[in-house]
Amino acid sequence: MDTLFVSMAVIIAGGAAGLLLCRQFTLMKLVAIATTSVGCGIGLLFTVPKLLSGGAELAVTYNWLHVFTLAFKLDSVSLFFLIPIFLVPPLTLLYSFHYLENKDKKLRVGVSYFFFSVLVASMALVVMADNMITFLLAWELMSLSSFFLVMYDYEVYENRKAGYLYLIFAQGGAMLLFATFALIYRHTGSFDFASFASIPDASKLLVFILAFLGFGSKAGIFPLHIWLPKAHPAAPSHVSAIMSGVMIKMGIYGIFRIYLLLDAPTPVIGQIVLATGMVTGILGVVYALAKQDIKQLLAYSSVENIGIILIGLGIGMVGVSEQNQAMAFFGFAGALLHVFNHSIFKSLLFMGAGSVLHKAKTKNIEELGGLMKRMPVTGRTFLAGSVAISGLPPFSGFIGEFLIYYGAFQGLSSQNLPYIMTILAIVSLAVIGGLATACFTKVVGLGFLGEPRTAQAANAKESGFAMGFVMSIMALACLVIGVLPEPFVRLAFLGIQDVPAAAGFNTDSFIVIIQHISKTAALFIGLLLLVSLFRKMMYVKKEIGSGPTWGCGFTQPTVRMQYTGTSYAAEMIGFFKPFVPVKTVYTGIRKIFPGKTTWESEVVDIAESNYQLRLITPMLTLLGKLRWIQHGNIQLYIGYIIVAIIVLLLFL
Amino acid sequence: MIQLSNALVSVSHVGDVLLTMTVLSVLLSLGSNRLGALVKIMAFQGIVVSLIPFFLEHHGQMSTGSIILLQIMLLIKGLLIPGFMYAAVKKIKIKLEVEPIIGYNASLFAGLIFILLAAFITNRLQISLPVKNELLMIAAITTLAAGLFLIMSRHKALTQVIGYLMMENGIYLIGTALAKQTHTMYVVEFGVLLDLLVGIMIMGIIVHNINSSYDDVDTALLGQLKDN
Amino acid sequence: MESILSFCFAVLIAPLLPAVIQKVKAYFAGKQGPPLLINYYTTIKLFKKGSVYSTSTSFVFKMGPVVGFTTSLMMLLFFPMGEVSPLLSFHGDVLILFYLMGLGRFFTILAALDTSSPFEGMGAAREAFFSTLAEATVFCILILFFRLTGSLSFNEFFSGPHAMNLMGEYGALLILVVVGLYIVMLTENSRVPVDDPATHLELTMIHEVMILDHSGPDLALIEMGAWFKLLFYSGFLARIIDPFHSENVIVNALLFYAVVIFVYVTVGVVESITARYKMNLVPKFILTPFILVFFVTILTMGVLQ
Repeated sequence: MDTLFVSMAVIIAGGAAGLLLCRQFTLMKLVAIATTSVGCGIGLLFTVPKLLSGGAELAVTYNWLHVFTLAFKLDSVSLFFLIPIFLVPPLTLLYSFHYLENKDKKLRVGVSYFFFSVLVASMALVVMADNMITFLLAWELMSLSSFFLVMYDYEVYENRKAGYLYLIFAQGGAMLLFATFALIYRHTGSFDFASFASIPDASKLLVFILAFLGFGSKAGIFPLHIWLPKAHPAAPSHVSAIMSGVMIKMGIYGIFRIYLLLDAPTPVIGQIVLATGMVTGILGVVYALAKQDIKQLLAYSSVENIGIILIGLGIGMVGVSEQNQAMAFFGFAGALLHVFNHSIFKSLLFMGAGSVLHKAKTKNIEELGGLMKRMPVTGRTFLAGSVAISGLPPFSGFIGEFLIYYGAFQGLSSQNLPYIMTILAIVSLAVIGGLATACFTKVVGLGFLGEPRTAQAANAKESGFAMGFVMSIMALACLVIGVLPEPFVRLAFLGIQDVPAAAGFNTDSFIVIIQHISKTAALFIGLLLLVSLFRKMMYVKKEIGSGPTWGCGFTQPTVRMQYTGTSYAAEMIGFFKPFVPVKTVYTGIRKIFPGKTTWESEVVDIAESNYQLRLITPMLTLLGKLRWIQHGNIQLYIGYIIVAIIVLLLFL
Repeated sequence: MIQLSNALVSVSHVGDVLLTMTVLSVLLSLGSNRLGALVKIMAFQGIVVSLIPFFLEHHGQMSTGSIILLQIMLLIKGLLIPGFMYAAVKKIKIKLEVEPIIGYNASLFAGLIFILLAAFITNRLQISLPVKNELLMIAAITTLAAGLFLIMSRHKALTQVIGYLMMENGIYLIGTALAKQTHTMYVVEFGVLLDLLVGIMIMGIIVHNINSSYDDVDTALLGQLKDN
Repeated sequence: MESILSFCFAVLIAPLLPAVIQKVKAYFAGKQGPPLLINYYTTIKLFKKGSVYSTSTSFVFKMGPVVGFTTSLMMLLFFPMGEVSPLLSFHGDVLILFYLMGLGRFFTILAALDTSSPFEGMGAAREAFFSTLAEATVFCILILFFRLTGSLSFNEFFSGPHAMNLMGEYGALLILVVVGLYIVMLTENSRVPVDDPATHLELTMIHEVMILDHSGPDLALIEMGAWFKLLFYSGFLARIIDPFHSENVIVNALLFYAVVIFVYVTVGVVESITARYKMNLVPKFILTPFILVFFVTILTMGVLQ
């Protein structure tokens, strides 16, 4: 346990070094990146062996200011979540070496490194916390440090707005957590996590729903997701990578932890999580499909993946309440494995998007194209990441989904509602998979393939070495996990070994299946190589011509005539019309000799527009009526204070 | 050497097949966009539904009277009514598109929800039923609900009649499920059916008249007749 | 040994069967139609040719046919053609195989988009949409089969005490599955009424427009992949329908292929007597089997258990 604290100290020291050395730009970056990475390395060296050895739970308590007790505990779930927390940051930091190149913003870069290290350390603290105070402290630290990271480009109005929106959701979520913990405290009178199980069964559901909403606002469940598509485009790409790859999983951790702590096998809890997961997953991917801004699209795709993870957790929870151990085991394990996989390929994709933004100066798909030839490393790694996130073999995304599928299929032996929920879960997973394929073929096919649509895209060059190197490593990791999944699946199994419902489950027969999967993936790659070789042979000594694309008889094609992202997605969006409204503005042709006319279409986030309509507007009208209190007269304000104090003294 | 499995010969098996066919026709009708096709599907459904009592085990031996009744029913449901409607479709020159208020995809999903609800309701009712045939109950409730849904969600007068007919089929199936003694029930049912037949004939005339005075058979136009 | 022979036979016969469809269509049109071996001739001709590549394309364009062909080949490796157990099989193989098909689709779509042709983009968008809807049906069928047989592999679906067969104990339910699977087959293989490769306008096609720019051996690979895929789906259907069972392996295989040919003939008949749907009605057509199969899965809840 002390090793972890040492690693955190090193991480923070790295960040502080960034702050102190900010006058020497390159040195500062090197020191900050190296030190923080060493800290993460130490953490990993402790975490992984600990998890592999299946060691006993560790617990430490400290007294802080003689008032608060800070308690830490490590069980297998915490250890598993620590792996991405320590694994992804060093890679994103290395990437940032070439990403943060603006020497005019030295201080800002230094501050960014500092908060980055605080974010990493606080995430580690979140998963280690073992009482309410420790947890909330770490949670707030995490929210605030990530808020400052989002505000990196604070001059831009949109970014500031995104930052504030994120802050509102982070703090609103935290408020719900406070309410949850207060509710529990009222029953138990103790700050300890261990006491959660002892609250009366009747209040467990309410406690869980409050906590679910609180953690859900961090994880980005529908409809509490609207900060994600705003904050991610605003933040620098390596920050988006870590936030989307790792930080939002803290919400998942919270949901899983509170479920384990409450120890309430009420069927309703599992059904709520499962249903939320399905809605979040499907709507997340549909909105992702509708967006043309790569980073917004990736943000919505994170919502989708949170949905998949929640489906996994929900399957597990339903399995627990149905007393179906196989279902519970594979549901939980699949969710954890998908957390791990998603942290890798989502970071990879955000970094790819950052690389595009860096060189082509735009992240709008409609303005890109032809980048595969101009940015070969970014293009190829992005392709790998896209296949992985669409859940297609032989890449990593498939393995996590396979586990969840397997768990869900085990649940088909139940009856009534759990049975129908399981069917719907499997069908949703299939639909999500299909739509994710559509979504990422759109990004790769329109953004990276074809012809560049603008001069910016045509002039794009490959990004710096550090960025390409990191992305290649991560793409390789996606492939390795997909082809040799066994150790990673075992890791996920070890991750849930301390979950009571999963204890003592025999996984031997499943490991055989995973070995088969691995062989099938290898066979597929082998066959692919053979067929490629055959194709090569067929082209030996043949005439290979080149010419323009066949325009179906049209001889004057321009790059603007290529299919656009909007039209690619239009039919699919139309299918989900009631849930994904499209707002179009058309000025129309009015005069006899038509002037310039415009046509715009925008996909409106139904959650956002409903907040606007039902929450914010009524609230503003209500609060507008109280405006008379604000006179701007200082004497009157002092009068308010006196009145407030008297009222308080009288009644309390 | 080659052996044909004889499972098909089993009577209840055929009953199950017919019931699945009924649900199939219900779903097809929800997704159908041409009036002509819709009428054909209804004819198919009528035939299948009137055949079902022959293959239900719990009805046992039928009297000659009920067999004749059933045959006439088959004639009316499968031939006469669809025939009249088909003639109406052909005769009045209208657009053959169904004009849904609720789209085809949404209608299909509605069908799915009806099936789910029917399954749940059947599970509830199981105890009170005289004979256990859940498939029959599910098919019956789905047909009934889908019929009502068709009436609700389509513009044209003809589709409303079709919806009514489908609802009637559903009621008929429920009756079959609930009744142990077959004879009396079919008499009642037969009366209803005759009413319906007359209704359809009248409808044919009315639709023809609406058509000539309004140039369309959209029920929305009937709104013009309301008291102001 | 039998498995290897069966696999080789399936690979060899795959190009022959689509000619049956052409024959049937020709019969309906009162024409003589192409010879039955037409597809072999075409394949050989294509393999002899070189290729012309668009200047817009990258390596992804060349990967498309290879990945598509390989994924279709994988299906045949795992599917018990002719009532002979397949070369490879394990519990859970259906999941990875249908996802591999997804991978094939992924690269076919990318190859189409790589040409920067608006027509191919349009086809790609439709392919992505329709196959997503079809996937829902496929997984519903898998759910049903798992519920009934407790297995997740093609081989186990059709062997053992609860083999999925129209003549078996769940025949009534499987009728709807057959209808559903048939529509999925039409969708996934771009047949009428979902897609009509024979129209005069590229705008109205789905699959055929996506491969406009492929030529020579690349095109041959795509075509062969499509034939394998069609054989796989009709084999899947045939295994459910096939009413015959014999002790003799060869007789069994022959009867199986007779049923397969029957499926192909029906495809030809459907193509002859129906027109392609309007594009906006296709989703409805693909959703119907989903609802059907979903209904069947609901029925298994308490009805026939």
